[in-house]
Amino acid sequence: MILCKPTGQRLTVLFLSLFVISIVNSSAQDAAAGKALFNGKCAACHNVFKKLTGPALGGLEERGKWADHKEILAWVNNPAAYMAKDPYTQGLKTDFGSMMTGFAEVTQKDVDDIVAYINDEVAKKKSGGDTAKTAEAVPDTGNQNALIFGIISLILGIVALILMQVNSSLKKMSDDAEGIVRPEPVPFYRNKTYIAMASIVFFVFGGYMVAKGAIGLGRQKTYQPDQPIFYSHKVHAGINQVNCLYCHGNAWESKQAAIPSVNVCMNCHKAITTYEKGPKLYRDNGDEVDGTAEIAKLYKYAGFDPNTPSKWDPSKAKPIEWVKIHNLPDHVYFNHSQHIRAGNIQCQSCHGEITAMDEVKQMAELSMGWCINCHRQTNVNFNYDSTKGNKFYSIYEKFHNDIKAGKMDSVKVKDIGGLECQKCHY
Amino acid sequence: MKKILFVTGSLALVAALVSCGGARKEEGRVYMPDMSYSRAYESYASTEALDKAGVNYTAKPVEGTIARGEMAAYPFKNDSTGYARSAEVKNPLDSASLDSKEAERLFLVNCAICHGPKLDGNGPLWASGVFPVAPRNLVGDPLMLAMAEGTMFHSVTYGRNTMGSYASQLSTRQRWQVIAYVKAQQAKKTAAAPAAAPVATKDSTKAAVK
Repeated sequence: MILCKPTGQRLTVLFLSLFVISIVNSSAQDAAAGKALFNGKCAACHNVFKKLTGPALGGLEERGKWADHKEILAWVNNPAAYMAKDPYTQGLKTDFGSMMTGFAEVTQKDVDDIVAYINDEVAKKKSGGDTAKTAEAVPDTGNQNALIFGIISLILGIVALILMQVNSSLKKMSDDAEGIVRPEPVPFYRNKTYIAMASIVFFVFGGYMVAKGAIGLGRQKTYQPDQPIFYSHKVHAGINQVNCLYCHGNAWESKQAAIPSVNVCMNCHKAITTYEKGPKLYRDNGDEVDGTAEIAKLYKYAGFDPNTPSKWDPSKAKPIEWVKIHNLPDHVYFNHSQHIRAGNIQCQSCHGEITAMDEVKQMAELSMGWCINCHRQTNVNFNYDSTKGNKFYSIYEKFHNDIKAGKMDSVKVKDIGGLECQKCHY
Repeated sequence: MKKILFVTGSLALVAALVSCGGARKEEGRVYMPDMSYSRAYESYASTEALDKAGVNYTAKPVEGTIARGEMAAYPFKNDSTGYARSAEVKNPLDSASLDSKEAERLFLVNCAICHGPKLDGNGPLWASGVFPVAPRNLVGDPLMLAMAEGTMFHSVTYGRNTMGSYASQLSTRQRWQVIAYVKAQQAKKTAAAPAAAPVATKDSTKAAVK
């Protein structure tokens, strides 16, 4: 879809589409019936605007013999018989790799309704294209505030310095006027009090920074690397409600939460070729992202041409080199399935509100203190008889007796070995 | 004295404020890299060096290889003869070896996004208008009701029309589980429909929904 057409062209398109709408409106009832028929019978393989399993049906009356609806009916009722004597549909079969399923029950009225619906959709799209622009979004101001505070504190510091300077000169002048003779002041860098104070400040501040830096070694909270494709978890897992495990299914079964291979992306993106319906996307630095261009990057990896979808060969796809965000050192063992399957922990507990993030940022510290803290606080579902409970916990006889006797009300992860070193380090 | 204090203080403040702002783009440093980075090849590590050395780390297993604990492979190839013959294959899972809760979970994770949690073809992607092709109504479409389980398995394994192959996401056993779930839901729906028709007063809402 071209958004920035010259005005003249736009106007003609507008007039044309108004014209088409006025024609179509006379048969509005037909288009509504056609929509139901289209969604029920055609939409599994056809779209009005996109080539999918079958050709895009928009503008079909300009192709082949389809201007005559009787020909369409003959084709739809019995494609095999029709194709035998029609070179155009034979060409379609070579292009799309398969022949259409026959719909013997379709009547002439049905075909007219469906074509009316298709023409209606084409007209709607043409008139809607120009009005699709939405308001500009305001960029985030969080960073600006920090900068303003910094500048204000710097100015205040300079003012304080000037005032101190003025104070000392005034004092000197009053001393001169009163004739009090004071020893020539020692320059501040040789004044022992100054040096002592400065070194204390240096050690406190320096020590703090060194300790902070040392603790931060190997940790990467807020890590948000640039990925090869701007993949928005907000659009996929949030707005479109794709289950986390659809792409990261291995998290249920193994140590690793799998990074999906290209064919998993293509399960949906074979059909979803453009980004139109979602909100505008912005990078961290405020640049707007063209979602359709990002999908095109995926097609480059997949070796997929949206114009010839049936020709795609998944075995030719190249892997996308995503940058891993949540890294643990090699001497720590972490298992996803243990946490989400046995422990019933939600993904969001450690990864943050993934469904609200465009580019993923590491929310948790992934430090040992952070792990241990959670192991101290999290209850284990000990009701092994219940449907969600884990039968393994039946072996903790003492705890079950203690709960029954009222000695303890809940069992935490730490009680079943969650603080043992060799649970994670071995 | 206060001069230095103020200068360092304000500089530190500015530095702290600025550094807290954005997200970090670098991984950062680690203590003792030999304990942090694995010497063995981890999942998703680059195997370029191995490929160069001629080690077939990423090569596919020999054709016909069956993983330990996995079911026998599906016998037909991804072509029209395979599709035509697929109906001969029966679901090797019987009701005893089927974990119906797990089957439902697999369906909801992998299929419901298009075919809908109620199997009516009205999943979130189609309902919101993002997906351009109508997913099949698994419990209403006569084509799907008549489809043999082997043919369903063929389609899920190799992909069919707009649907892609799910062989990389679901193991053979899991695919059969999903199909058993779909067939069970279909049976439930067709059993409910004639029963609802005579007792119109009692089950009228259910029948209307269907």
